[in-house]
Amino acid sequence: MMPGVTLSRWTMSYFFAALSALIAGEVLMLAGFGYPAASLRAPETLVLVHVIAIGWLSLLMCGALFQFAPVLIARRLYSDTLPLPALLLLIAGLGLLLSGFLQLSGRLPDLPSLLPAAGIVLSAGFMLVLWNLGCTLWPARPLPLPARFVTTGLISLALTVALGVIFALALGQQTNSEPMLAIAGAALPLHAAVGIGGWLTLTAIGVSYRLLAMFMLAPELEGTRPKLVLALAGAALTIVVAAGLGAILNGASLSIPLFAGSILGLASLALYGADILHLYRARKRRTIELNSRMAIHALASFAAAIGLASGLAILGRLEDGIGVVVFVLVFGWLSGLGLAKLYKIVAFLTWLECYGPVLGKMAAPRVQDLVVETRARKWFRVYFLSVWSGTLTLLIGLPTAFRVTAALMLIATIGIVSELVRIRLLSDVAARSGGPAAVPRPHLLFSRPSSI
Amino acid sequence: MFIQTEPMPDVSKLKFIPGREVYVSGTIEFANRDEATASPLAQRLFGFPGVAAIAFGYDYIIITKAVGDWQHLKPALLGTIMEHFMSNAPVMRAARRTPGGEDGKTDAFVDEIMTSLREVIDPELGYNIVDLGLIYEVVVGADGATTVAMTTTTPGCPATNYLKQGVQDRAGAVEGVKRVQVELTYEPRWEPEMMSPGAKQHLGIY
Repeated sequence: MMPGVTLSRWTMSYFFAALSALIAGEVLMLAGFGYPAASLRAPETLVLVHVIAIGWLSLLMCGALFQFAPVLIARRLYSDTLPLPALLLLIAGLGLLLSGFLQLSGRLPDLPSLLPAAGIVLSAGFMLVLWNLGCTLWPARPLPLPARFVTTGLISLALTVALGVIFALALGQQTNSEPMLAIAGAALPLHAAVGIGGWLTLTAIGVSYRLLAMFMLAPELEGTRPKLVLALAGAALTIVVAAGLGAILNGASLSIPLFAGSILGLASLALYGADILHLYRARKRRTIELNSRMAIHALASFAAAIGLASGLAILGRLEDGIGVVVFVLVFGWLSGLGLAKLYKIVAFLTWLECYGPVLGKMAAPRVQDLVVETRARKWFRVYFLSVWSGTLTLLIGLPTAFRVTAALMLIATIGIVSELVRIRLLSDVAARSGGPAAVPRPHLLFSRPSSI
Repeated sequence: MFIQTEPMPDVSKLKFIPGREVYVSGTIEFANRDEATASPLAQRLFGFPGVAAIAFGYDYIIITKAVGDWQHLKPALLGTIMEHFMSNAPVMRAARRTPGGEDGKTDAFVDEIMTSLREVIDPELGYNIVDLGLIYEVVVGADGATTVAMTTTTPGCPATNYLKQGVQDRAGAVEGVKRVQVELTYEPRWEPEMMSPGAKQHLGIY
């Protein structure tokens, strides 16, 4: 008999912190703080990038994994307590990191540098996350394919954090080690590639294989192609990291490892695209929910980012346009998919918490009764349209117009967040039944798993 | 495992001989999917468009096709039969029994339990778990002790324990049921084909 997976207590807290960071990042873009108003390597851009990469995307992914990594392997989470100290460390570490970047920009007094402390606190937080998820996954070997994607993503997270700590030590002038200074000077592309490509994208791919099949009643993919997607992506990451670090330490150019990694990565993503098309075509559920429809927009953004990167590379302009490519990847693909899936996950987890314990004892609503898709749809449409318009303004070079699209992104995000709050407060269930909800409202920021 | 096939005088029928026992109690025929609820194997085979009827004998399966070409249908059917036997999934579900074991009372009592179980919904699909095909078997012993074998749409579903508890409560609420044991199984794995026509229509599956 397989044990049931339980509700993760702190996943909602991660989601709340993550959405707060997304809104903060969009406010920064609206205010013209960081790229494109500043250069890609400017401290202001580093603030913006890390608010989004750690504050929004990594916290979102960690919160989701605490709930769904156990689902992938049909086991319980190793510890339902560790996510809270991990979250507190990550938030504190992010605060220190952003303050350290502001010191670099001269906006805060620069002695002593907060970056080394940020590196220690952030890596402690991520180590707790990795320990918890690692101890959850390890006993389930041999792992099913989606869990192997997640494991590769977690290894990439460890590498990204390790590189980040080296940067923090070097920028904080806490090391004289020549190899570490060499890495700090040249490994930024590796840090970004392993973070966005390995940690965030591979994990999202692994979870998407399972969740899309589950939500659309499509047969789960188990053949050669998804295995090849993982093998090629793993090879790409290995080349980028191993050959890239080798090149840096030997004073050689990073272009060959990055080019080889890109080719393998592209091949992997092309096969993933074919798999996802197959999943959508083979689905039994012809009418799909808003989260799956919006995931198509995110996947289209992913394809557009790859097309854009390829086009720029052919024109020899990739270096100039890398900021635009990262913008589409981060806001169109990763954030678009994240928001779309949050719309489903928050409803599902809220249903489990409120109606799971009374199932069979009273008439329970469906998960879909917690949401009003017609109302939420417009916010998602505005979100994706503003991301795509923002991409165009960046390509053409219109920073003021970009800020207008950032304002629209912010409005759309606030709209989506307000829908998530309504779901969490059971507002639409109560409205549909014409009275108060029949069960107590859950806490907005954390779950209270029942003892079943 | 090697499955032999044997042509029949009626070209719309084909005999599959899997080299092991199929139905040891004689022969049994299923004219359509609804009649095949007692057989997970027949339900899977009816999932292929073109399969019109299925019959089991001691060591063979006869499949009747309505449309299509055996050349195209046969490989898929062979694969499904092989996969079913290799996974040790049952050809037939265990017979249902009720207290006292009187014929005629059996199905009515189990139907009463099934009706009660219909009040439990799968939260994700939003339909009752009986018509979704998540209840594999209900066995009632002479003393009223009831065992329900059930599955979930996906292993590891976070709603699993709540669904089990809901089934326990609803089955236990039926008069005459004394103790309820709920067994969770993933053999065979749930497939959308196991849904009733009503559930399929509700979810837009054709």
